[in-house]
Amino acid sequence: MPELKFTEAQEMLRKAVREFVEKEVLPIAHRIDVDNECPVDVFKKMGTLGFAGVFVPQEYGGAGMGLTERAIILEEISRHAAGFAMILMTHHLGVEAILAYGTEEQKRKYLPDLASGRKIGGLAVTEPSGGSDVGGQQTSAEFKDGRWVLNGRKCFITNSSSADVTVVTARTGEDAKGRPAFGAFILEAGTPGFAPGREENKFGLRGSGTGDLLLNDCEVGEEALLGAPGNGAKLALATIAKVGRTGMSAISVGILRGCLEEGVKFAKERILYGKPIAKLQAIQLEIAQNRVDYEAARLLTYQAIGLKESGANCDAEIAAAKYFSTEAAVRSAKRTIDLMGGYGVMNDYPVGRYLRDAMATIPSGGTSHVMQLVIAGQTLA
Amino acid sequence: MAEKRLAIWVVVEQNQGKLAPVSIEVLGQAVRLVEAASALSGEVAVVLLGDQVEDLAEELSAYGVDQVYWVDDPRLKHYQNDSYAAVLQRLVEREKPDILLFGATGAGEELAPTLAARLSTGLAAHCTGLDINADGQLVMKVPAFGGRVLGEIFCPSTSPQMASIKPGTFTVTERRVGRGEIVREDASSLLFDEDIRLEIMDVVQFEPSGLPLEKADVVIAGGYGMGSKKNWGLLEQLAAELQGAVGCTRPALDEGWTAGEHTMIGTSGKTVRPKVYLGCGISGAAHHVAGIKDSGVIINVNRDALAPAHAYSDYCVTDDAKKVVEALLEEIRRTKNEDDSG
Amino acid sequence: MEIAVLLKPVPDPAQYDKIQIDPATGILVRKGLKTVINPEDKHALEAALQLKEQHGGRVALIGMAPASAVETFREGLAIGADEAFLCSDRAFAGADSLATSRVLAKAINKAGPFALVLCGSTSADGGTAHVPSQVGELLGFAHLTHVIQMEISPDGRATVRAKMENGYRESRGRLPLVLGIRRELNTPRYISLMGIMAAQGKPVHVWSLNDLGLDKGKVGLAGSPTQPGKLYQPDMKRKGEVLQGEAREVAQRLVGIFRSAGILG
Repeated sequence: MPELKFTEAQEMLRKAVREFVEKEVLPIAHRIDVDNECPVDVFKKMGTLGFAGVFVPQEYGGAGMGLTERAIILEEISRHAAGFAMILMTHHLGVEAILAYGTEEQKRKYLPDLASGRKIGGLAVTEPSGGSDVGGQQTSAEFKDGRWVLNGRKCFITNSSSADVTVVTARTGEDAKGRPAFGAFILEAGTPGFAPGREENKFGLRGSGTGDLLLNDCEVGEEALLGAPGNGAKLALATIAKVGRTGMSAISVGILRGCLEEGVKFAKERILYGKPIAKLQAIQLEIAQNRVDYEAARLLTYQAIGLKESGANCDAEIAAAKYFSTEAAVRSAKRTIDLMGGYGVMNDYPVGRYLRDAMATIPSGGTSHVMQLVIAGQTLA
Repeated sequence: MAEKRLAIWVVVEQNQGKLAPVSIEVLGQAVRLVEAASALSGEVAVVLLGDQVEDLAEELSAYGVDQVYWVDDPRLKHYQNDSYAAVLQRLVEREKPDILLFGATGAGEELAPTLAARLSTGLAAHCTGLDINADGQLVMKVPAFGGRVLGEIFCPSTSPQMASIKPGTFTVTERRVGRGEIVREDASSLLFDEDIRLEIMDVVQFEPSGLPLEKADVVIAGGYGMGSKKNWGLLEQLAAELQGAVGCTRPALDEGWTAGEHTMIGTSGKTVRPKVYLGCGISGAAHHVAGIKDSGVIINVNRDALAPAHAYSDYCVTDDAKKVVEALLEEIRRTKNEDDSG
Repeated sequence: MEIAVLLKPVPDPAQYDKIQIDPATGILVRKGLKTVINPEDKHALEAALQLKEQHGGRVALIGMAPASAVETFREGLAIGADEAFLCSDRAFAGADSLATSRVLAKAINKAGPFALVLCGSTSADGGTAHVPSQVGELLGFAHLTHVIQMEISPDGRATVRAKMENGYRESRGRLPLVLGIRRELNTPRYISLMGIMAAQGKPVHVWSLNDLGLDKGKVGLAGSPTQPGKLYQPDMKRKGEVLQGEAREVAQRLVGIFRSAGILG
């Protein structure tokens, strides 16, 4: 097994992203959390640097890199502002769906704007009937006189009010065996009959607005259909596994690093009994555990992404990375708060936000329970 | 046997008919070197270039110098690299001084290396110490890595030995009794129109408001740890209460909190030596510390117990700088009231 | 417009507190320090890229550094320069500003011709601020340093503001010029992902003493008119007495300290 080693270009990318994040995102990280608003201007600035289209080929206006580079970007942003990273992570879901399933015409129409960050993307699958229960979706798409008419309600949709282009799944009918069939549609903000509904008030990953998307006789042409009419469920599941779970895993790695660094900083600053608490063995043990959680999550995450990029079938590895990293981020944030004593619960320090953000990474892309089922399913098969 | 000669020249700087303070500081060092190297027959000369600057030549002749080389010409009204370097090169090649000293101002940092390149000789930048060793060689002590390291520099095989000195590095010495000879040079043999490639269009200088940092008995310096422009206002209040001046670090300057670059302290800014220096939210990077190390009492307030600043302090407080400054303001105002009523 | 940007890899100025002198050998220990582009050089590169965007042409990076510094030059290419020339030879080691400028000037002539040579006015490590003027002299170009504003027209006329104490000096002239750039001039752009991808295919030429046709006695330590002596680590440590207690108690102690220093009456 070779060591996990990034290329020179990847190391340069990490350095470049870090510089951007420290100058542009870190100063507003607290405000994004408090206001729960997407800083669109910073997103667009990020877009001009290629973050929004990192894995999009250059012919469609992207940077032409891959999922590893995307994970580096998400990790570096989440080190200071996981809520902001969540906006980018979700944007990439919409981008990937169009990139993987779009016709040449659709790709030419949507990807340049999405890859350059001029437009924000999203993916809407979950409904009140459930998220992981893809087959339970009620939203319908009827084909009438050469046009699709969509009706229904999507919920818990990230970027619901900020996305300009959202890929929406809907039931298009039944397959040959009588099971429900789904399609995916590219919907642009402002299309009549398509509008954001209520906004949720999340306690974590704030800034990435989450809410309802309402479809009321929303009528679109045939060109809005993404992929084959019965392909929507597969599209949703594949996109969520490939881009969603790996993205949440990378975000968690960033949170883990934030926890590790905050803990170290505090341990060196805080004087008790005349010396920094870093000299106390009890504190050293906590720091060691933070380090191990970070290292392990990092290895699992980049390993799973590397496998995915090599084309391997690695749903279990991705699920394992997502399960471990998100749970580790929660543990590590809690541990860091503990070692900080009373200061840990003060909003002067970002660690409370890290804990809330870490908690919010768990349901996104499939809960820890679902991840374990995926892992067990593959292991027992 | 003829005595060994040691001729030290100081290239002085004048702007709009006023001497730059650093020129007097450098001149003080030249006089000190000659006095210290008593085994040598030393002499100090200054070189003054300008337009109608006779009064400056007179003024300089009273600083314990042996000669004032004075070149007066309308083309030398403002410092300009080509014209000044051409005149100096011809003078140096004619008189062959052993040592050439400059103030490391904006102009000096251009003129000194230009001349060194033309004369193919060595130049040491921003010297913090100058001595003559037993061999009659100039030993120049220069900072590197923002003052973290000091190194000795020699210029053993080429002449003159050249050095520049940053403003504020040395304190001004007393004006000495005596009168040097004023040698008025003929500009027409030292400067030709074809020497000049760039034309000066405009020279703009402003007087910074308030007490200059280098003259203040109390310097309140703020760093990135002050957190905001609003908190920065507290430092200004504190300086007002203590009749001091506010200085800053590069990160605080970059945040736009400060009065401007002329308040920056450190290797790329001012050198200060107040009676009391109070650093607030400053980590104590080498390039800042180099600018404050000669202060009377050094106090630092910083949340990070391991900040390098603490090691360079007489007193340190491990706490939020804003909180401590607020408490200090309150305490000073309270004691002032007590004094008034008592 | 053909523009050369002089780029110097330096140890990260944020880490200068970690630099030590080995007490046994008296040699500088700078192991483990990150290497970055000299901060002011980024402003020089930004100025060059803006000129290229206005007037077309090419931007070449030129520098003298050990071969391991190639990554730093690659970063300059990612920011937007077109190609890089790295002068690297053991014979260049230990050079002072004049010996360094000889190598740079030779490389500029070999890679050129250039109408404009831009560099940071000062390097973060040595910090002499000599190189802009000395390269200018060796090239026979007019030069200015501490540049905070500049206007260069396509026909080669230049108006340049150089910072002086509490003000500036404005000069007018014609290309070719060497300009030492200060950070006030502009805000350097961020590295883009597209830039990183493009940089992988851009040429980095490495030139040795022989490639440059330089005399060994004119470069490196041997060719330096200044010679280094002993190194010191200035001992600036003070007693570091920690004032403890609530902010109010600390404030009372501080007032006492001010008073005994003769401040506050």
